[in-house]
Amino acid sequence: MSDLAITAMQTELTRERSAIRSLRLVQTACILVIALVIVSPLLMLVVASLKDDRFQILADMGSFRAFWVSNPTLSNFWEVGNFSGELAFGRYLLNSLFILACTVGAGLVVNSMAGFVLAWGSLRGRALVLSLVIALYVIPQESIIMPLVIMVSRAGMTDSFAVQIVPWVASPLYIFLFYQFFAQLPKELFEAAEIDGASVFRIYRSIFLPLSLPALATVSILMGIESWNQYLWPTLVTQTDYARPIAVAIATFFGQDSIYWDRAMAASVLMMLPILALYLAFQRWFVSSFVGSAVKG
Amino acid sequence: MSSVTIEQVRKQYGAVPVIYGVSMDIEDGEFVTLVGPSGCGKSTLLRMLAGLEDISGGEIRIGGRVVNDVAPKERDIAMVFQSYALYPHMTVAQNMGFALKLKGQDKATIDRRVREAADILALEPLLDRLPKQLSGGQRQRVAMGRAIVRHPRVFLFDEPLSNLDAKLRVTMRAEIKELHQRLKTTTVYVTHDQIEAMTMADRIVVMRGGKVEQIGAPLELYDRPANTFVATFIGSPAMNLFEGRIADGSFVTNGGVALPLPSDGKGDAASIYGVRPEHLTIAETGVPANVVVVEPTGSETHVLVQIGSAETTLVLRERLHLDPGQPITIAPDPAKIHLFSSEGVRLN
Ligand SMILES: Nc1ncnc2c1ncn2[C@@H]1O[C@H](COP(=O)(O)OP(=O)(O)OP(=O)(O)O)[C@@H](O)[C@H]1O
Ligand SMILES: [Mg+2]
Repeated sequence: MSDLAITAMQTELTRERSAIRSLRLVQTACILVIALVIVSPLLMLVVASLKDDRFQILADMGSFRAFWVSNPTLSNFWEVGNFSGELAFGRYLLNSLFILACTVGAGLVVNSMAGFVLAWGSLRGRALVLSLVIALYVIPQESIIMPLVIMVSRAGMTDSFAVQIVPWVASPLYIFLFYQFFAQLPKELFEAAEIDGASVFRIYRSIFLPLSLPALATVSILMGIESWNQYLWPTLVTQTDYARPIAVAIATFFGQDSIYWDRAMAASVLMMLPILALYLAFQRWFVSSFVGSAVKG
Repeated sequence: MSSVTIEQVRKQYGAVPVIYGVSMDIEDGEFVTLVGPSGCGKSTLLRMLAGLEDISGGEIRIGGRVVNDVAPKERDIAMVFQSYALYPHMTVAQNMGFALKLKGQDKATIDRRVREAADILALEPLLDRLPKQLSGGQRQRVAMGRAIVRHPRVFLFDEPLSNLDAKLRVTMRAEIKELHQRLKTTTVYVTHDQIEAMTMADRIVVMRGGKVEQIGAPLELYDRPANTFVATFIGSPAMNLFEGRIADGSFVTNGGVALPLPSDGKGDAASIYGVRPEHLTIAETGVPANVVVVEPTGSETHVLVQIGSAETTLVLRERLHLDPGQPITIAPDPAKIHLFSSEGVRLN
């Protein structure tokens, strides 16, 4: 090959490389912008929670000072920690955690079982039940909340933990999510286990459930967030502070005559932390799945 | 080990029948293959044997016991699926031991039997791996291992080799056959590959459209096919068939070519004349033909020739130099001629 040709090839290569590089640059820029849009409110919240003066927080909103704190202080967290409401702030946090753990725990079992039976059971009228489940999903929670309040108060369940857990355990969305996940697993897996001598429950427990980690993680996160953020329902069904969750407690910072922005911000940050931890714990299962190797190669 | 009896078994999905009264007896320790074109109901029949599909009519007996309404796990059968269906989250050892664990065997017994099976299949170094860490052939062996640890009465295979490449398929074919000679477990093996069926089976069941066309030993099917379907399905390249009629002591094709009749003199009403490509030779005297295509495979040569208006294949062991268009004369071996009625039923 002549030197000329080699030089031409090198130029070509360099050009290609620089094209790839500029593409990367554009990609990175896009990701940065998206991240900024998503992260900036959170950043604002954290920054505000470190500011001492609640009027200053209001004044800073709408300018770049919302993202900057010149002399950060933890005093808001301190005050929230020593919150002098009905109960200590930590107690509300614990209430919320307890409700979340019970709802998610029971929810994973109930919804995955329902999804499994709908996908693989020999139940008559499965298709009908499935379409009913999907139909239920379009009904917004808010529209059934008043009848639900009446039901639980007739049942004498109000002002308890149970009333904040039981109604939200079974959910059409999560049943459908599990149904979809289970339905796409190969039929031979079920049949092989059946021939190996497994009962239907055993197939669910030993084969399908362990394979559904991605679905379990997704449902855990979604259910966790939903439970953690419940506000309307607990305000309606709790009369005392005994079982109240943190979301309701934070609302007391938004008093009738004045809003304690500083403490509200700090409390919001505290409220965010557990759900963030939950997400980080489960997010690696969001996408990862080794189901593909069940069949063929 | 057990015999299997299938008696007038029918299957329909809703109003659509897919199996029309199939009967067969499978002896204790026998290796039977079910072959037939796609959609003929092989898998359906096997799945009915396994208990994965219910039976619309007739009776299935395993070891003398009617199993029509017996759940799969109580039939004491093991099945190897085309897709292997290994449990993805379990190691090879766990996959193989799962059935024993469900039976409540203790850990030591499970361990011993898994090792025994792994030894037979050369799987020991792989026992701690997950299915995704195995090659196709290894997965196939694990699927077989899962079946043999249980010492079932009957093995059922549904096209277990069709996901493997051609070379591995030949190796695994021999391995399965060897395994059967060693364990002597009654085996029903579904395939659509007639070579697989011929090489592995004690007996072959040829199916078409939900019916049994013929049951017999591989060479029986090759030598005396009961009808034109079996005649063309078994053997490769396929048997040459000519339509025509018998006149003046020979078979005259519709194209006006006279072919010699077999010496036994049976089959006066024949209207289809069959001869296998390997039973045609190039001779001094015989039927005039013209070479169309020559395909050397190394061990033999396939020659497509034109006889009258019909095309016919020859398989020659010797390496002759033939050119397209060259006129030759061919002669069928008179002892290896098949005559069929106009409905395709064997006459001689
Ligand atoms: N669940 C079902 N509902 C309706 N028809 C079915 C069902 N399963 C199979 N069939 C039909 O039954 C017939 C036999 O199917 P089967 O799977 O047994 O064929 P096969 O011989 O195994 O074919 P292949 O070689 O392609 O695997 C086919 O015509 C198929 O369309
Ligand atoms: Mg099939």
